[in-house]
Amino acid sequence: MTLRLLCNFVYSFALLLLMAPPSLAHHSFAAEYDANKPVTLKGMIARVEWTNPHIRFYIDVKNPGGKTARWEISGPSVNALARNGAKKDSLKIGETVTVEGFLAREVKNLANMKTVKSADGKILLDRIGDQQ
Amino acid sequence: MTGRLRTAILLLLPLLEACSAKSPAAATNPSAGVSRTADGKPDLSGIWEMKKDRPCPPGGCTDNQVVNQFFDIGAGLSGGLPYQPWAKQLVQQRMELNGKDDPSSRCIPGGLVKLHTNPFRRKIIQSPGILVILFERDATYRQIYTDGRPLPSEVDLTSFNGVSAGTWDGDTLVVQSVGFKQGDTEKDGAWLDRNGSPLTGAAKITERFRRVDHGNLEVTLTVDDPKAYTAPWTIKLNQVLVTDGQELLDYNCTENEQDAVHLVGK
Repeated sequence: MTLRLLCNFVYSFALLLLMAPPSLAHHSFAAEYDANKPVTLKGMIARVEWTNPHIRFYIDVKNPGGKTARWEISGPSVNALARNGAKKDSLKIGETVTVEGFLAREVKNLANMKTVKSADGKILLDRIGDQQ
Repeated sequence: MTGRLRTAILLLLPLLEACSAKSPAAATNPSAGVSRTADGKPDLSGIWEMKKDRPCPPGGCTDNQVVNQFFDIGAGLSGGLPYQPWAKQLVQQRMELNGKDDPSSRCIPGGLVKLHTNPFRRKIIQSPGILVILFERDATYRQIYTDGRPLPSEVDLTSFNGVSAGTWDGDTLVVQSVGFKQGDTEKDGAWLDRNGSPLTGAAKITERFRRVDHGNLEVTLTVDDPKAYTAPWTIKLNQVLVTDGQELLDYNCTENEQDAVHLVGK
């Protein structure tokens, strides 16, 4: 076994050990969101707050009955997104997006994002490599 | 974290260190020599961030890529932190509630120790007589006087970061700090980590800053707080030089804080 293979094995094992519940620098992720309740939402962006400690945006999601419900989506800090290549206009009002994330424990229609994709599948925002 | 899991991670650490070491050919600029200031001291100036030691799971991080010490400041210490009984009970309670009462959730400054472990960047500006650290987090600062002034015997106006004075021990800057803010009781001081490890107003913190090479800063931090811990304890906080050319960015927690009212714990 080469050193590289051994190192890859060590990394993989360490990753499995270190898959702890996520946490935000500003507040505890687990105190607000449920990592066991993933959610996928498709809706039109109605409002964007490109602010710290977290960006927030709001999407209008049509439910199967045809009614529209407004969802609040919380994301990383502006600092983390800026260093991940995102810009203030990465999210455009009126654009239809698909959000993957996690539901809030108690508050209705609130989720924490993992990724945001455009209608053609392009990643607009993501947490991969996120730092804050 | 279970005892077995903690042991497995501790056993893996040397292997991970060996695997992450650069080959001689790759070890170029970041590990070059340390420049010195006009007074001959090692120059600690630069933009730094914590060395990330908590890899993202397969598929990427669902959240922050912060260091283990952000969650447990005693991570890596054999046996964990030497809590006084009341402090141990308090930390258990705080952990059961997933850290929902962390003062940071309400945008209260985290204090000296959290300024080291949070994922935001910090900039050291060194000059003869003073070393200043600017922090993105809450756009705050520390002033470490190296002009020979002693620490005050008593601090009337306590603060989140305390009062600091530094002296050089060879190429290591030794910084001592006292005067940390505490509320009405010993339980109402700063949280040192997300688990809620407490710091009381009686604490004295010693940091030993050593620029190992051009790209690495080692901070050895000792907390001596007999009210909360049965013995002083020491940890290492490894920081790396930021080389992407990006300056500090303001991060003001109060700008649009809306989460505090949604924290339910579990």
